[in-house]
This record gives sequence, C-alpha cells and structure tokens, in this order.
Amino acid sequence: MNNEPLIQVLPYKHRSRFFWILVLIFLITLPVLIFYTTGYRLSFENEETSIVTTGGMYVTTDNLDVDVYLDEEKVDSPRLFRSAYYIQNINSDQHRIVVQSPEYQTWVKVLPVDSRVVTEVSAFNLPTIPRLRPITLYQTATGTSVYFTKDITNKVFAEATSTEPYQYSASLATTSYQVNGEFVFVESLFGTTSSSTKSVFGKLLEGIGTFGFATATPVQATTAIATIEEKTLRGDMELFDQDGELYARWLGSASAVPNYFCVTKSSFASTSQRYGEHVAVAIKEAESSTSSPLIIENNRTCRTQIKLDRLRQDVFYYNFFPNSSDLVLMQLQDGIYVTEIDDRAWQNTQLLYAGTDIQTIVENDVIYIRDGEYYFQIATQIESN
Amino acid sequence: MSQEEQSHMLPYARRPDFKVARANELSGTDRRFYRFLEIVPGVAAWATIIGIILASIYTPFIAAYFIIAFSIYWVLKTIFLSYHVRYNWKRLKHHMELDWEKMVQRFSYDKFYHLVIFPYYKEPAGVLEETLNGLLEAKYDPKKLIVVFAAEERAGVEAQTLATNLKEKHGDRFGHFLVTTHPDNIVGEIAGKGSNVHWALKQVKEQVIDVHNIPYKNILTSIFDIDTVIYPDYFNCLIWFFMTVENPYKSCFQPVPLFTNNLWEATAFSRVMAMSSTFWQMIMQERPEKAATFSSHSVSFQALYEIGYGQANVVSEDSRIFWNLMIANDGEFQVVSMSYPIAMDATTADTFWGTIKNIYRQHRRWTYGVENWCYIVYHFTKNKAIPLRKRWGVALLQGEGYWSLVTNPIMLFILGWAPIFLGTPEFHQTVLSYELPIIVRNLLIVAMFGLVVSAVISLSLTPPRPDGHSRFRYIVMMLQWIMVPMTMIVFSAIPGLDAQTRLMFGRYMGFWVTPKARK
Repeated sequence: MNNEPLIQVLPYKHRSRFFWILVLIFLITLPVLIFYTTGYRLSFENEETSIVTTGGMYVTTDNLDVDVYLDEEKVDSPRLFRSAYYIQNINSDQHRIVVQSPEYQTWVKVLPVDSRVVTEVSAFNLPTIPRLRPITLYQTATGTSVYFTKDITNKVFAEATSTEPYQYSASLATTSYQVNGEFVFVESLFGTTSSSTKSVFGKLLEGIGTFGFATATPVQATTAIATIEEKTLRGDMELFDQDGELYARWLGSASAVPNYFCVTKSSFASTSQRYGEHVAVAIKEAESSTSSPLIIENNRTCRTQIKLDRLRQDVFYYNFFPNSSDLVLMQLQDGIYVTEIDDRAWQNTQLLYAGTDIQTIVENDVIYIRDGEYYFQIATQIESN
Repeated sequence: MSQEEQSHMLPYARRPDFKVARANELSGTDRRFYRFLEIVPGVAAWATIIGIILASIYTPFIAAYFIIAFSIYWVLKTIFLSYHVRYNWKRLKHHMELDWEKMVQRFSYDKFYHLVIFPYYKEPAGVLEETLNGLLEAKYDPKKLIVVFAAEERAGVEAQTLATNLKEKHGDRFGHFLVTTHPDNIVGEIAGKGSNVHWALKQVKEQVIDVHNIPYKNILTSIFDIDTVIYPDYFNCLIWFFMTVENPYKSCFQPVPLFTNNLWEATAFSRVMAMSSTFWQMIMQERPEKAATFSSHSVSFQALYEIGYGQANVVSEDSRIFWNLMIANDGEFQVVSMSYPIAMDATTADTFWGTIKNIYRQHRRWTYGVENWCYIVYHFTKNKAIPLRKRWGVALLQGEGYWSLVTNPIMLFILGWAPIFLGTPEFHQTVLSYELPIIVRNLLIVAMFGLVVSAVISLSLTPPRPDGHSRFRYIVMMLQWIMVPMTMIVFSAIPGLDAQTRLMFGRYMGFWVTPKARK
C-alpha cells in the first residue's frame, strides 16, 4: 500500500487554466449569441460567406390541426406554444403565409418581413362544411333531438353536418319526449331580440339604414360622429357602423394597440406596396382625422380604425366572433361570415353558414342561428375524435 | 476567562470587538460601519432583483443581453462546478478505499488525543447511540479519544440523562468521557450549538485536559453535529492530514458531509437538498483556499485555545470559527480538505409539509452565514497584518457567494422571462424578444446536463438499499434531480433572501435546531 493518497487536491494551476478557458468560451459565445438572437445569420449563398440580417414571423392559429406554409414550403419547426408558430431566419421581403387543413377553409396573407423584426399574424380557419348542433323543442330521455319532419335533412343538413345525433318522429305525439329547456331559452333569445332584428329589416325597407344589432350591449356614443348608430365593445376593441360601412376601432392605450393596426413608418408608395393600397390610403386619411388619429411611435405608425370587408353586401347583424376581439361575425345577405379586422394585404373572410332566411345571435360566446323554423348552435371547429 | 488565559490568546483575538456578532455590540463609527455592512448584502440582492425588473420594463434590450450573458455564465459555471464535483468524487472514492490505519503507522502519533464534541439539544436516544456506535467502531484506539456529549440545560434533565446513560454504559471504553450541561441564559450568548460548544470546550479543558496535563498541541478537536456518524478511518485520516500538512496548527480539517444516515427514509425534496449540500462541499474540497469550515470539522485544541474557543453569540458558528482563526492568525489559516466522508442526517419531519418547513428553516439558518461576511469585512479593515490582496479576495469572493446564492436562481428561472412580459411594444416586435426564451431555454437544457452528473454521483454515494425499500426507489433517486430548479429557488434563494432581509433590517436571527430522528 502506498503511503500517500494517489489523488491530490485539484491543482490551482489546473483549475485556473480551466477557468480561463471557460472565460474565453464566454467571451466568444456571448457576442455570437447576441448577434444570433438579434437576427444576424451567416449566409453561404453563391459560394460566398456573408452575414445577413433576418426577421421572423409569428403565426397564431385558433386551430391545432392546421399546417402552416411559408412561401409554399411547409413550416416544420416546432411550435413555440401549442397554437403558435415562430418562423425564424426569414429574409427581408414580402412573404406569403398559408394556413390550411383539408376540412377547413384556407387562410392566406402576404406580409412584409423586416430585418430583426418579427411580423405577427393571427390566422383562423372555419370548417368548410358547417357544423350544427340541433336544438329542438323535444328530446328523447337520452337527450337526442327530435324532429317531426324529414324535411330538415333536405333543407339544412344537405349542406351541413350535425355534431350530435338526431331522430325523426313519424308521429306528432310528444308524450314520450321531454321538453328541451335549451330550446325554450334560445327561442326566447330570438323572441326578445326579434324586434331589433325586425327593425333591421324595417330600416332596410324604409331605406334608413342597413345595420341591426342583436345581443351586444348598446353603448352610448362618446364621440362626435353623429351618424354612428350603435356600437359593440369587447375589451378595448369597438365595432361600429357608420355611413353604411362597418368599422373596428381601437380604444385602448397606444402601447397595447394590436399590431395589425400598425405599419412600419414609410412613404405612401412603400406602405402601399407592403400592406396594400387601402392601408396606405387609410393611413393618409387618418393623418388628417380628428376622430381616429394616428399613433406614431419610434418606428411605426398605427391607425386606430379599420374598415371591415362586408363583401359589398348589406349587413344584418354583426358582433365579435366568440372568444376573440380580432374576428368579427357578420350576417350578410347570403349567409353568416367571419372576417378578420387585420386588413394588411387583405381581410380573410370565411363563410360560416349559408342561408338567406336566417337570424343570428351570439350569447355567452355561443353562436345560435334560426334557419326558418329551426334553431341550431354553430360549432366553429371540428371536434377531435 | 482568566487573565492568564487572556495572555495566551493571540494578540488580535484579545481585542474587545474580536467576537462581535452584530452592530449593536459596537459603538460610534464602528457600530455604524458594521450596521452598514449588515445592510449591504440585502440591498445588493434586492437591488439586483428590482434592477432586472426595472431594466426589463425600461431598457428591455439591455436586460435581454444581460440575461443571455448570465445564461451563458450559468452554463459555464455548471461545467466548472461539475468538473470539481467529479474530481472530488474520484478523490473521495479513492480515500474511502485507502487503508489509513496502515498509512499513519509511519508517524509517531501516540501522543495525540482526539477530543470529540457532540453538542445536542433534544435529539432522541437513538440518534445519540448511533453517533456513539460510530466512535466505537472507529479503527482507532478508543483510549485516545476524549468524548464530550454537550447537553443543554434548557432541554431539561431528561435530555441530559441520555448522555449520562451512555457514559455509564460505554464511558470506560474511551480515554475520557465527559457530559457537560450548558447553562441557560448566559448573558451575551445565543442559545444554540455555538454557545454549547464554547461552554463544552471550557469544561473539558478544566475537567479533563488540564487535570491530566495533556498538552493543547496534542489534541485534535472534532466538533461534530449530534447526528454525525464517522466512517471507521476518520481519525486515522485526520491524523494523516495533520501530520502531513505544512502548518497543522494553522489548519482546519474539513471532511465531506454525506447526509445519508436517513436517506432512504427521506423525501425526494430532502434528498435533493441533502445531496446538493454535499456537492457544494465537494466543490469546496477542491478549492480549499476559497472555503470556510462547514458543519462537522476538526481543528487543533491549541488553535481554539488561542482565540478563546470561538464565539458563543452567532448563528453560523461552524464557519465563524474559521474566520475567527483566520483573522486572529493574520490570515495565516487554511482549510484542509480531507475528502473523507462523515455521515449525517438529511432534514426530515413526520409530515411532508413538516419536511418542507424544516428544510426551509435549516437553509435559512445556513444562509444566515451572510453575517460572517459583515464580520470578515469589518475585521479586514482593522487587521492590516492580513495581506491586502487576501483581504480583498476573500471579501469579494464571499460577498459574491452570498449574492449569487440568493439572486442567481431567481434571475435564471424567473426573471429570465421578465423582458418578454414587461418589455416595451418596440421590444416585443423584435427577433430578440422571440429568440430570448428559446436561447435561455436551450442554455438551461445544456446546464441541466450537470444534473446528470449529480444524479450518477449521488447514486454512488447512496448507502445500500435497506430491506423494505423497492428497487424502484433508485429510479426515483435519479429522476428527483429534475426538481433542482425549483429547490434552488424555494430552498436556497428564498430562504437566503429571507435571511439577508432580516439582517438588513436588524431583525437578527437566533439558532434554530434542526430536528433529528431515527425510525
């Protein structure tokens, strides 16, 4: 046995050398990572090594089953959160972003990406075939909706899918069924608001105005716009109609204004090329507006008002889409549509339910419709199995 | 203390303020300066935390760059410390395999006595018995051991009787066996381990050492927590180091505390904290010039005598005794790392929440060691005989240690995300804002590889699986390390901040006795 332990305390010189190696690694890594996180990348294009600056795109979706494409290439990068994609290393340019899924309508936008800046965008995809939950007066003991006519299949479910089973009854006898409390509730909703809905039609007929208002709480006008009829509020976002057009207006603080109200500070031509002429025009108009002035920050210009695309149709009803202050539900002449407030490039508008003899109500973030004599709840997503 | 004893003390140790514990024991400028020092650690910690929050709000870009730099620093620090742990683990294993009894035969060490002091409070008989069994099983002549069980008067007669019973049963097997009772309410003392040990040292000197004319230089004093169970070769190993170091009377000898006595009964939280404490001590073993004594350790009686046995008025007495010795010896005092283990208890309680509470309190007590920083800096301004470089080096190193203990986990796991949540809209649009959480997360994942090293080493130091415990427990013992980010915050940063804040406001802490038990 050796009289000395074979292993001595870690020599100071050894530790010191190791320490200074780590200091060196720190000094090298720090600027590299700072440049990387700021958006700088090494480029090896054209057999030349150069440093380029890149930007990013942050895409949020309301649907987890969609695929995201950037310039026709599928985005494979892992999601930052469950319903959000952060796409890195994008060159400064206009980029086409597509969010799609086989059973959903496609959402498309072309947006500019700038160096060291992330362009934020929020996509939405509604089912291509409407998803309806029947609400009937009578139900079976197990809660299945009962229709007393087979006409429903031809009339409604020819172009829609039911989210729940329903059945027909050849007999008109109701003794074996239960009265559905939800039906009573929904019917009363349409009943209590029927006057305002009728007044919409009335206004139409009288040629006074097109717009109606169903469930949202009317708010007293606080501005000097005499032509404003009614307003709908969610958080700091307001929907209102004025001179036959539908608008969204930001009422909150400048620091919290949604990014789609803003564009990078630049000339009319540049803004027009990057975001569309309508955006450039809107900003120009806002420059002289006293009712909805521009918010001008360090490097961006923000409007506070955006006109919504009503597809050149009359609007019978509008409200915020459930659980969203960025999407608007509109009942137009040929159906119920959802449109985004974000008008950069264009506003994506998707059909939720087609029909002419329909009425719509949003109650507690649930969309109810009356199609003729039938009541339904519309699902905005396809249920996962 | 008699005048003769005073005259034997080192010149600096005779100063009236040598054993100062808090500002209110001083007067005039000294008092104000000491109070300032008590405020500094808390202010530094809070200023860092608040500073990062404010920077995240008003200068998020700078805050983000700082966080990136800090994350890189953390990864490299993890690598650096893991390297030390791994090296010490090799050394520890090697030392545990050595035949120290044979190795010390070349020395003439018959003249040396080992004075072993076990201060205790209300710990049950089982704990005391197991501790004594460790001594009885040591590969060392028990007649060369002076065993002192130091009871507390405030614990009652029942507690004192435990040691008396042990003395009756085993006393004659040792050279000397003394049971002391530390009186309650001695003016100027803090009730706790430090004052008990202080009393026991004086008693053993009077009742044993002086009576038997044992030269102080021939006594190696081991001050052990009551749950300390020594490994069989501890005293041989201690003798070996004592005989081979350059200046044994200017050295403290620090073993590696393994909190493994009750590891199989302890909860995962308790095990992680226990092993983390062990790992920290293993790191310090490999850089002894930066270390102070911790928990159970050994030192010559002569050295203790020359400073009047240390302080009876502080909470963190285990480290303070080293600083007393270092300052009184004009900086010429060192910690010798033995890399030989002693077994102690992991903190537990009967209930889960009881365990959480006890771990928190114990770590608050340990982190209250920040009181030592005030003491060090105060005396560094007084004792100019200590080289200036050493004074600055120690003060900065110890200060950084207490600051990073409190702030680093909070900065890393909580404030790292602050610019993202608190930053300006301008910042939120940038690539930096989006890349920051990704880069910090990736760096933390890299740093987590250090935990793999920890998991492997901890398993190798775990005692054999007792009957009645499933093999599945080994898997739990590996996986438990993922709790480290949380334990660092809950049981290091927050109790540390608690302790520093108390000191900052002059709400001085007392000694909290960690409950010990045996199942």
